[in-house]
Amino acid sequence: MDTNEYLQSVLSGQSLGDDSAELKELQTQRAVVEKLIRENFGAVPIIRYGGSKAKGTIIKEYYDLDIVCYLPSNSDAAGTTLQEIYENVRNCLNKGYIVEEKTSALRLKGNAADNYMRDFHIDVVPGRFIDEDKSDCFIHQNGADKCRLKTNLDVHISHVKDCGVVDAIRLLKLWKTRKGIRVKQFVFELLIIDLIDGKKAKPLSEQLMHVWEEISASSDPIHVEDPANPSGNDLADVMKSAWPALKSEATNTLNTIKWSGWEAVFGTVSASKSATVAEKAQRASAFVNTPNKPWCPRG
Amino acid sequence: MKAPWYERNTRLLEATRTELTAQYPDLRVVIEHGTVHIRGSFPVMDGAEVMDRFLIEIKFPFDYPESIPVLREVGGRIPWHEDRHVIPGNGEACPIVPEEWLIRPDHDSVLAFLNGPVRNFFLGQILVESGQPWPFGERSHGLPGLIEAYGEILGTFDEHALRRYLDCLSKEALKGHWECPCGSTKRLRDCHLNEVKSLRERILPRVAQQALNRLDELSARQRKNTTHPTSRRIE
Repeated sequence: MDTNEYLQSVLSGQSLGDDSAELKELQTQRAVVEKLIRENFGAVPIIRYGGSKAKGTIIKEYYDLDIVCYLPSNSDAAGTTLQEIYENVRNCLNKGYIVEEKTSALRLKGNAADNYMRDFHIDVVPGRFIDEDKSDCFIHQNGADKCRLKTNLDVHISHVKDCGVVDAIRLLKLWKTRKGIRVKQFVFELLIIDLIDGKKAKPLSEQLMHVWEEISASSDPIHVEDPANPSGNDLADVMKSAWPALKSEATNTLNTIKWSGWEAVFGTVSASKSATVAEKAQRASAFVNTPNKPWCPRG
Repeated sequence: MKAPWYERNTRLLEATRTELTAQYPDLRVVIEHGTVHIRGSFPVMDGAEVMDRFLIEIKFPFDYPESIPVLREVGGRIPWHEDRHVIPGNGEACPIVPEEWLIRPDHDSVLAFLNGPVRNFFLGQILVESGQPWPFGERSHGLPGLIEAYGEILGTFDEHALRRYLDCLSKEALKGHWECPCGSTKRLRDCHLNEVKSLRERILPRVAQQALNRLDELSARQRKNTTHPTSRRIE
């Protein structure tokens, strides 16, 4: 297996089929979310998939689902101001979930005893279309300098989906996830697309190496623009805060590949699918030299 | 003011980084707001194969390695529930009773922590997710679990005797004329002196004192909950 075949195998292992348990659960939760929204605001809100599901960049190791809930420009079914819409959608989702407020999105977590604070990997983004075209949209920005932001879901989706480097994005998302680097996924995707532009015809391994080399070589954060709002959405701060970790890990990764090869970065690809993870865990437990019991101070 | 551990013990920080790079290349050390964290994807290994992964954050206490690092699963996969050994109020995982860890000779090795309690914890989570029991059993919640753990270390499950042993072990020096902590009312030199000496080789006075403080804290909480059952809440 050459490097590019190996990287494709890594990607295959990260695929989530339509019949996968993870996607089925996301779809179940989406139905719950939609029901809550419809019960509160009727048929008016437009509910659509966004995020990695829509862009084709989903990976098994860290999957999430963005659900946009946009109101028509002339509707006040969920409130008159953007902040009211954000708060009213939050209150409605609070009936079924613990809702964690992010800048523009509402992150849904379990509120029952058996799933308390379990992350469903679902972000609901409330907003309102700017006009009757139902294309550009304003979303509320909680606690930010600018309280509203112009965005466009279709522009974001097509910018990534049609960029021609989705495989590289998925692998670099896996890399970012495993390294625990905290940078907004969309901003990271914009960076990758910009860096690989002009190298789309190159093999996947060269695309990845190029991204890491560029990040590693740049002492200052690389500038990226939001294609849906180039002048109004300043991403400099997001990139600046993540840059030291990105740069350091890109440098480490290049060294790892040089001295230990690609498997040291993305791991071995398992050929055997005979045992389930639980069966493997059961077997591995039997070989633990120093077992210990978990505890909980509460209870 | 005392400097944080990584400034007092730069060698330990360096050893931590080196150990991680060698065995867990996806985990990285981050110093943020004066606190050392480990962040990234923790691979649960089955031989040379990764069987599963969990996104984790480990926060090192100010006085590390005298206190146990705090583990959190940050991918949102594990519910915050006592039965999953995650504190509902803050999401902290409880892979082991802290003093059980602190008496281990390798308690200052991050690799030992990851390969031991952390791996065991996630092996257990994988099994519990599939409806199976914890592979090595689990401690009772709260004070009873503490008594089980300390009891296994000290050889008695009587809370009063445990307190006497821990009190005795928390002193800097032993005196033969003290009353034996076993409860016999004999002098220590005429009763369990050798056993207590042997325990002292494993359990440092500060760890014994920490265990005593934890017993006090949980006893007080239990009394409060018994007196005011309606005041119990998820913290």
